[in-house]
Amino acid sequence: MIRMMEPAPEMDTTDTTDSMDSPEEPGDTLAQLLAPSDAPASLYNFGYIDEDSKREIRRRLLKAVAIPGHQVPFASRDLPIARGWGTGGLQITMAIIMPEDTLKVIDQGDDDSVNAVNLRRLITKTTGVATTFDTEAASIVQTRHRIPEEPMRPDQILVLQVPMSDPLRWVEPAIEKATEMHGEADYGTMWVYMYESVVRSGDLKIATQYPVMVEDRYLMDTTPIPRHDVTKLHQAEMLSLFGAGREKRVYAVPPYTRVVPLEFEDFRFKTEHRPGQACERCGAEWTFLTRSWVTGTGATTSGHWLYQCSDSNYCNQRYARGYRPQDGIPDTAAFDAPAKMEDGEGDAG
Amino acid sequence: MRDEATWVLRGTGLSKYYGPGCVYCAALTGPDRGTSQCPLCNTVTACANVNFSVDRGETLGIVGESGSGKSTLIQLIHLSVPASAGSLEFRDPESPETTPINLLHLSRAANRAFRNQRLGIVYQRPELGLNLQFTVGANVAEKLLLANWRHVGHIRERATQLMVETELPPERIDDDPLTFSGGMLQRVQIAKALSSNPVVLLLDEVTSGLDLSVQASVLDLIKQLQWELGMTMLAVSHDLGVIKHLARRTMVMKNGHVVESGLTDQILEDPQHPYTQLLVSSAL
Repeated sequence: MIRMMEPAPEMDTTDTTDSMDSPEEPGDTLAQLLAPSDAPASLYNFGYIDEDSKREIRRRLLKAVAIPGHQVPFASRDLPIARGWGTGGLQITMAIIMPEDTLKVIDQGDDDSVNAVNLRRLITKTTGVATTFDTEAASIVQTRHRIPEEPMRPDQILVLQVPMSDPLRWVEPAIEKATEMHGEADYGTMWVYMYESVVRSGDLKIATQYPVMVEDRYLMDTTPIPRHDVTKLHQAEMLSLFGAGREKRVYAVPPYTRVVPLEFEDFRFKTEHRPGQACERCGAEWTFLTRSWVTGTGATTSGHWLYQCSDSNYCNQRYARGYRPQDGIPDTAAFDAPAKMEDGEGDAG
Repeated sequence: MRDEATWVLRGTGLSKYYGPGCVYCAALTGPDRGTSQCPLCNTVTACANVNFSVDRGETLGIVGESGSGKSTLIQLIHLSVPASAGSLEFRDPESPETTPINLLHLSRAANRAFRNQRLGIVYQRPELGLNLQFTVGANVAEKLLLANWRHVGHIRERATQLMVETELPPERIDDDPLTFSGGMLQRVQIAKALSSNPVVLLLDEVTSGLDLSVQASVLDLIKQLQWELGMTMLAVSHDLGVIKHLARRTMVMKNGHVVESGLTDQILEDPQHPYTQLLVSSAL
């Protein structure tokens, strides 16, 4: 109060018109606004969020871990990015990150997409932690739309950005009613929705946000990860934390938790994987592949679909170790299959 | 004289109040006062001290004007509205020697399970009983899915069978309900209600809003299904013709109170209460 009453010494109260219109003032031009800020990281609290807020988020996370699959409300804070751009996952990361952590941020499997780059830049700017593209080297992996192909370890934490936290939103738009349904494990309407999916499309064609039962108790949204990644949550060794900033919810899947996708006896849950379809760069057949249309250059060629690993780091590492489509499919899912490397095939490319 | 040992559902002192209530509510409301709302505390007495019992395979009619409390009574029996006082006992007709359970003391999960598996309800308005976003087949299959049926082929087989039983075209199992007529939607509701083989079927003004020929066919269907399946039914209507067609015994309600009850024929031919006399004379 006293500080507000004291006039700022540098403030010129006589005439501010010229200075406000002057193009030389900082922040007036678009170029200046877009220029990287040279403000030192010490201006920010470690992890941008204040300590009280981080403590609240950690408490909510503890509750979420204690009740796997249960959505826990939290007071989602304002951040310098828009809601819907990963603020839920970002707040979780900011709340749990420590100076000794190594961070990996991916978006759609890529380490270098716009969303991943910006989130990584904000986190490193305000924490100074080391970053990596290597899943194995990371202690925290923040992700949107994918789970890394390499199996994660118990000492790693996976943080997922969630756009819509409640799987019942498709069948029950009223949050109060949906909360009651979760409380009573009343998921009959969701099963009707699944039945409708089969009737209308001939199969279980839910592409993303596939509903799963966690420990036979809570119905959980798996966020927009593909069906290929849903199975990675079952009995996973890592801790998975889910944050929905816009919907103000966090939930968790602790290590070694039973995560079962909804399915019928005659219509089983299936992943997108198609036998025989392999990455055209590294030859991996078991990974989630992205498809892009490559326009043909010749007069008779109209173009073709190009299939590549969605997890760019996994693909790059395999490529660097010499794996190519013509090399065939290694026996193990890990890219560093020792038998292959010892045979010298890793040096081929 | 009715055999007291054969009842399936029995309500004792069943009451529902909307409001805080006061010591004068009972004296200032009811058919004699001509109102259900207490002038002192504004509490609405939707149902007051209703006693009834229904036998296996029997239909009990509940008749009265709009606002008399008959739909509230059906909701209390359907366990979708909590009762303010009284008891509602159920005795499994398959094992009548077992101790009756008071349905008002069930946990929320047990309440939902009982409602889904042992009770069926058909509403006047199809949008209350059906989810219009889902196909007809999904609506009929809902109770099967709630009962942990997890084989789509078996579910569709049972849904098709129910549609045939309720005289619906089975080839339209995957159509949207909005493409069905009013009478057909009532049949879909009936098929849905029957899917879990309920012990008690509740009918809340099932034929209101339907034209006369469709009314007759729906009522005939209900009677036939009851005869075939041996269900216990409670039918609410303000139409004495419907009650006469369906119910052997009838309760007449006014301002939340039962003013007269007995055999339907007796009530229609020799009504005792002035309100029943008015109702019968109006119908004629």
